[in-house]
Amino acid sequence: SAKLSVGLRGPRALARLSSSSMGREKKAVAPENRLFQDRVLLTESCVKRLQEIMAKGEYLRIRVEGGGCSGFQYKFSVDTVRKEDDRLFEQEGVGVIVDEDSLDFVKGATLDYNEELIRSSFQVLRNPQAEHGCSCGTSFSVKL
Amino acid sequence: VSKRKLLPTRAALTLTPSAVNKIKYLLQNKPEYIGLRVGVRTRGCNGLTYTLDYIKEKDKSDEEVLQDGVRVFIEKKAQLTLLGTEMDYVESKLSSEFVFNNPNIKGTCGCGESFNV
Repeated sequence: SAKLSVGLRGPRALARLSSSSMGREKKAVAPENRLFQDRVLLTESCVKRLQEIMAKGEYLRIRVEGGGCSGFQYKFSVDTVRKEDDRLFEQEGVGVIVDEDSLDFVKGATLDYNEELIRSSFQVLRNPQAEHGCSCGTSFSVKL
Repeated sequence: VSKRKLLPTRAALTLTPSAVNKIKYLLQNKPEYIGLRVGVRTRGCNGLTYTLDYIKEKDKSDEEVLQDGVRVFIEKKAQLTLLGTEMDYVESKLSSEFVFNNPNIKGTCGCGESFNV
């Protein structure tokens, strides 16, 4: 019945429908033709924040460590050095570094900068490798 | 000789200077709000988590804390768990957040968002 009502209201209604659902879901801005499976995606707010805070040659490093209430947790830091086993994901002038070991746990996930009154911070959203996480989003357990 | 015992009366919540400054900054251009309200919600792996909202008017059951010109209201449900807590604002390059240093806390989660009392 949803299809029918869209059909009746015409293409404009359809456009409105899709744009509103896109607004609610934080969409990652990434080139559409790439394979996303083994990389980390960045949301618009993440890119914007990194552009604001990072100087030239500075990268955001994501590391996955054991710990937290769910077994694993994300650690964020600012780094200027790229090591041999690091992968760099660049987007609109900003770069995120993930080492190969950590990447296994976050590939396909989206990195977001979430701004709230009580707290503004970087967060990993929609990690396909994670089973379920803590409400704060820092800790997660892995799908086996 | 009986000694008179003086007990300090503590505010339900104390704010650090950085928390005061941040709240002042947040409310600067928002005359419609009278302050912030701190609450607790059942959420997270350790039972409870803090919430923070702008408020337009004081609820009857809210406890008001006035310090250095800023008003923070404590939701009824949060009053017991927050008693004696220090509210701080910590800012770094990667995150900025209000932190509650609560003496009543028994355990926290790794992220520091969730706790139990």
